[in-house]
Amino acid sequence: MTAISADTADQIVAQPKLVGRPDVNKRRLARMGWIFTAPALIVIAAVTIFPIVYSVIMGFSNVDVTGSGFSLDGFTFSNYNLLLHSSLWRSALYFTLYYTAVTVAVELVIGTCIALVLERLAAGRGWMMALLLVPWSMITVINAELWAYIYNGTYGVADYIINALGLGNPVILGTPTSAVIGLMIADIWKTTPFVAIIVLAGLVMLPQDVYEAAEMDGASGWYTFWHVTLPLLRPTIALAVMFRILQAFGLFDLPYVMTGGGPGTATTSLAVLAYDALFKNLAFGPGAAVAVSAALLVLLGCLATLRVFRAQVGQEGN
Amino acid sequence: MSRRREGAAYIRRGGVGVALAAVGVLALAACGSSGGSSSSTSGLGSSTNSASPAAAGSSAAPGSATSGSIVWSASPLSGTGANDARTVLINAFEKQYPNIHVSLVSASSDTDTNRATLATTISGGSSTPDVFMGDVIWPAQFGAHQLAVPLSDYLPASYWSKFAPGLVQGATYQGKVYGSPLFEDQGFLYYRKDLLAAAHMSVPTTWQQLETDAVTLVHDGKVKDGFVWEGDAYEGLTCDFMEYLTDAGGTPTNSSFTTATLNSPASVKAITFMRSLITSGASPAAVSTFQEPQAMAVFADGNAAFLRNWDYAYDASITASSGGKLTASQVGVAPLPTFAGQPYPGYSNIGGWNLYINPHSKDIAADLTFIQWMSGTTAQDILSEKYGFISTVTAVRSDPAVIGSNPNFAVVPKTKLVPRPAGTPNYPALSTAIYQNLNGALAGSASPASAASAMQSAASTALSSTSNGGL
Repeated sequence: MTAISADTADQIVAQPKLVGRPDVNKRRLARMGWIFTAPALIVIAAVTIFPIVYSVIMGFSNVDVTGSGFSLDGFTFSNYNLLLHSSLWRSALYFTLYYTAVTVAVELVIGTCIALVLERLAAGRGWMMALLLVPWSMITVINAELWAYIYNGTYGVADYIINALGLGNPVILGTPTSAVIGLMIADIWKTTPFVAIIVLAGLVMLPQDVYEAAEMDGASGWYTFWHVTLPLLRPTIALAVMFRILQAFGLFDLPYVMTGGGPGTATTSLAVLAYDALFKNLAFGPGAAVAVSAALLVLLGCLATLRVFRAQVGQEGN
Repeated sequence: MSRRREGAAYIRRGGVGVALAAVGVLALAACGSSGGSSSSTSGLGSSTNSASPAAAGSSAAPGSATSGSIVWSASPLSGTGANDARTVLINAFEKQYPNIHVSLVSASSDTDTNRATLATTISGGSSTPDVFMGDVIWPAQFGAHQLAVPLSDYLPASYWSKFAPGLVQGATYQGKVYGSPLFEDQGFLYYRKDLLAAAHMSVPTTWQQLETDAVTLVHDGKVKDGFVWEGDAYEGLTCDFMEYLTDAGGTPTNSSFTTATLNSPASVKAITFMRSLITSGASPAAVSTFQEPQAMAVFADGNAAFLRNWDYAYDASITASSGGKLTASQVGVAPLPTFAGQPYPGYSNIGGWNLYINPHSKDIAADLTFIQWMSGTTAQDILSEKYGFISTVTAVRSDPAVIGSNPNFAVVPKTKLVPRPAGTPNYPALSTAIYQNLNGALAGSASPASAASAMQSAASTALSSTSNGGL
């Protein structure tokens, strides 16, 4: 009711017709609700729904960029056909998939460990959480610049440390394998706290009586973790995984800043590929197709995660 | 549901899509323009310009407008605050044309971001910026997509004759000139005079000599790194490659930019040599991650004997406020070397920036006045004498006062120039094909021969269609 002005509220109350006719009242309130939310909905439609729909349309059109706007010509599968025959798209897809799989898995393991430690922390938990959130709150581009500096082949800190340890003088962003690992470390450093916080929230919510029962039955700590904590945490973990898949699949800032998609095409993600097609080559049809293909794949990934999530919720009741 | 109803439903949905699209374009157009409610119509392709080519021919001479207002988009050039080159130029222009007001929109210093912003703004129908500074490799892409005004429709043939040879050709696409050359740039070899003198070495005239000298200097502990250049996977690597490729006698495409010619012995020779710079120790392995700033920093810190870079590098090496730790007596500049057996000097790739006009600009007459003034003596003197940019105008270049202001300018007449194959609207994808595969070879993940073959294949894809985006 706070959204309704005092005058309007008075009018509603003052109208005698409405008294005793809840249906009409409800309908009017609903209409008013729509009117009040319309501006927000229009903004959302303009900045979210319209671009998504437009991208899908572009992906199925021959798009020409001209001085007088985009000209969308005909319905075609040629952009998607192009993708299927493009080795660049396949390698970008492969890179994005394994990058997502590895980073999400590592972040999940480390994040869960951190959450378990934090939960037991008697003192200073607030401080620890605040410190943990520093990397997460950092803007990704700044994070990328920071790591690019650390990995710099001539004056980078990582280079210096590896050299001091007598492990040679590697150029971390200069060879495909080390560049991919370098990006993954930067990503894991930044987003593990996010996973930790979500898992911690899940841990705090777990019912205590189950643990008391486990203790009474003489279950060991390790046994309790595997057979009580982890199963109960599964919905929370699924949620964290879903958020992370959504983000990791859109990987752009790190390779864009740190490697430009190189060496060669070793760190070219789908988003970087889409950016190149769209904004370097002004090829909006194929670029939109790349973007839509990435969106579809991430949607599939999330649906799969959601399925697991629902299944877990169902099992909880049994 | 019957087929007809399905069709009707499809059309209705299509109608909604079109309506949404129209709303979106209108919104974009409104967002993109700085000042007006009238810009919405231009988003739908019915823009009216104040000076049509025909009108320009029949009424006042182009560039004679003395009032109006211009929004100029330009990325940072040199200097900051009141000393910002763009501000200094605008002030000088407004002094001469007090009734033309120029407002500056500072564009991204990242060329690709700058291009993406301009392409989307202009194709969205925005009437601003009126004039934009753009890379010399943009004319074909912007011309093909009608994102820039064909200036040769407005300006007489005599206007173009004052520019140094090759520059107008580089700004031409399908017989029309799209950009007015603002300043030129090219590759130079910077070297440490003191180190070479101490080692009794002369300035290298061949790539092989440069490699040997660099290895010797590093090996003898005279300097940390021998030769630094731009080897990262980006446009700058294509520039560097063009120099080695041309020195080796190769070309990237045929003369009409329709067929790639990158899988050639010359290409393999160029790639093999570039990779050998790293394996021999003449260049640090990290050079395959260097863009201009990284290469510049190593040299300016005194940690490299040789540097391949653009014209700003001399000032940047010896100016403490730019991070330079060297003195004028330590830094020498020369034309780039070539391969043994070829006539010295080697080829320098052409860079630099042009001025373009937005086809939706409301005041093309004033825009023309502005770009003509920018290629005039006052503006060109400011750019070269005060800021060290190479003038595009022959008369300014040969002025002794200008030549004396920067050691680069004395080297310019001795250099041989080669442009990038930017005469095709597919140039960005072509360049990506070159630098991506070359960077892979520099990192050691592909042999020179397989990199040349991969380059050829990706470049052929890029050139095969105007709309595949290099995929």
